[in-house]
Amino acid sequence: MQIDEGRLREALGKPAEHGEDLDLDEFEREPGVRAEVDEDVKRRSLEVGVDLGKASSLTTFLQVDHEIAYRAIQKQFQGDIELMPIQEAVEKHPWVREHLWSLVSPYADKYTAYNALKPAGGFFLRILEGRRLHMPIQACFLSYSPGIIQSVHNIIVAEPGSEACVITGCTMRRRDQRGLHIGVTEIFIGPGARLNYTMVHRWGPSFHVRPRTGIALDEEAVLSYNYVLLGAVGSFQSKPSAVLKGGNAAVSMNNVIYLDGSSRMDLGGDCLIAGRGCRAELITSAVASGRAKLAVRGRVVCEADDGRGHISCRGLMLSDEAEVYAIPELVSRRMSASLTHEAAIGRISEDQLVYLMARGFSREEAESIIVRGFLDVSSLNLPIFLEESIKKIIDLAVKGF
Amino acid sequence: MGILLKIENLHVAVRDRLILKGVNLEVGDGEVHVIFGPNGSGKSTLAMAIMGHPEYRIVSGRIIFDGEDITEKPIDERARMGISIAFQNPPKLHGIRLKDLLARIASENGVGEKFLEMVDKLNISREHLSRYVNVGFSGGEIKRCEIAQALASNPKLLILDEPDSGVDVENLELIGRFLSESLRNRSALIITHHGHILRHLKPMKAHVLIDGMIACEGDPEQILSRIMRDGYRWCERCRLMRGG
Repeated sequence: MQIDEGRLREALGKPAEHGEDLDLDEFEREPGVRAEVDEDVKRRSLEVGVDLGKASSLTTFLQVDHEIAYRAIQKQFQGDIELMPIQEAVEKHPWVREHLWSLVSPYADKYTAYNALKPAGGFFLRILEGRRLHMPIQACFLSYSPGIIQSVHNIIVAEPGSEACVITGCTMRRRDQRGLHIGVTEIFIGPGARLNYTMVHRWGPSFHVRPRTGIALDEEAVLSYNYVLLGAVGSFQSKPSAVLKGGNAAVSMNNVIYLDGSSRMDLGGDCLIAGRGCRAELITSAVASGRAKLAVRGRVVCEADDGRGHISCRGLMLSDEAEVYAIPELVSRRMSASLTHEAAIGRISEDQLVYLMARGFSREEAESIIVRGFLDVSSLNLPIFLEESIKKIIDLAVKGF
Repeated sequence: MGILLKIENLHVAVRDRLILKGVNLEVGDGEVHVIFGPNGSGKSTLAMAIMGHPEYRIVSGRIIFDGEDITEKPIDERARMGISIAFQNPPKLHGIRLKDLLARIASENGVGEKFLEMVDKLNISREHLSRYVNVGFSGGEIKRCEIAQALASNPKLLILDEPDSGVDVENLELIGRFLSESLRNRSALIITHHGHILRHLKPMKAHVLIDGMIACEGDPEQILSRIMRDGYRWCERCRLMRGG
């Protein structure tokens, strides 16, 4: 896609539709210190499900600040996938350029415009036609140098009939670090391909995050798009959007959120059903504690026959100073479409607490069991080891509960 | 044999309504007792008050368990002392899988993997174990799951609140057989409105609760057959005869 630099410069002044507006000039363009893959980096990566200790045995991509620190494809998958820095992919396959900015508009807001003007890394992942990977592919983006903007662009192409599971962990070296992460991700799921794309994010109270994601699904394509965020974030705003173009495609966006401190999060999901018999669901389970404020915007638009859409938001309030705001939107343009939504926000029920306490658990233990249950990820169909590691991450994050 | 549970002149209110109006009861080590009573007589209130449910306020009287006065003790402490209950109407626990909860209760009480044998005997399937606790369970599944949880802590005293209500014949037989085995060398208080569970269990003593007081005590079979014949009105008269 041809990019108009003048329009980009104009868009640099354009705030996003939702979320807190950031002044990009308050952040550094370039890292002030040179990153090292030290023990801190390894520990932080592990907290978001990416095991660098297993980097030699798992397909891994690690970017620290603007540098690609590590990448490898495990032996058994060589010839099944391609995983490389986006720049390299553009040189190797001219068609990759056609994919860039085809699902996300670079002029959408200042964050996309900045990303288009100053890209600094990101990965290209291609799962070749008909290949089925039984082990996950792991990618990790880590902010190392304080105060910088990490601006990455990822492209994922799941070719027809392929199957894979990708976990991306995004985090930072120090929890108190300032910074901004702008991750543009465009995902293309070919006919009959199946992808499980799971993101685990951990940030800090002074860190800001603006992911921009576009997804296209061809016929019979299936995507499970899972987002797990635990702990505090300065501000977060994202509204991944999926277009279900081919017949019988299915997308399931699942958000599992535990927000604390003074976090501000505006999390959306937008699905357009354009192919016959497609299914879209947006499922959010969110726990809000401290003074955290969370808005959940789900939107399903159905423009094709026999489309089905469902939005669900469950919020658990752990504090009177927290806020959960659920805004589901359903738009139907077909008689045969079936669109539903449900939302329930409440506190931990006393009945449940007493029930667990009658089994011998203290009040604190019972609360913790209920909060962890609320953040249950076992329905996300993750590989077992990933499910186990996310459970451990949740255990760590909700330790106070 | 020692006395495991001793209830003295117990008065219990729910919100501001007095439900139990002076209950006296003793259960010895290893004894299984049954509590009969019409709807609204206070059977579940008695069960909840012994367990220590915070909504059931003890107005006066005492509960002694295992030689200790537990009247003021919170529910979780009583559970850790060895009191356990199978609830009649348990809440749903979204996100908490039955197998995880059972495993955790068992491990905290030194029961370990042995709970799996119990799960088999109660005919709790793997599929059932992998579901969220009480979410979409049938009546029989709820009862079996409650009994499994209550026994996973290897309690000294098991309280069963209507283990036979809303249960079909097959489930009733299974539960009855399982309980008669599990209650050897264990004390239990079985609350039942219509007494179906007694087809499979032989408690040593029955108490009839009428309007918040024990109206009558004695041989379970004799009492049940009188109730079956004459209804609970017979016990009401009986209480009057005993001077209430």
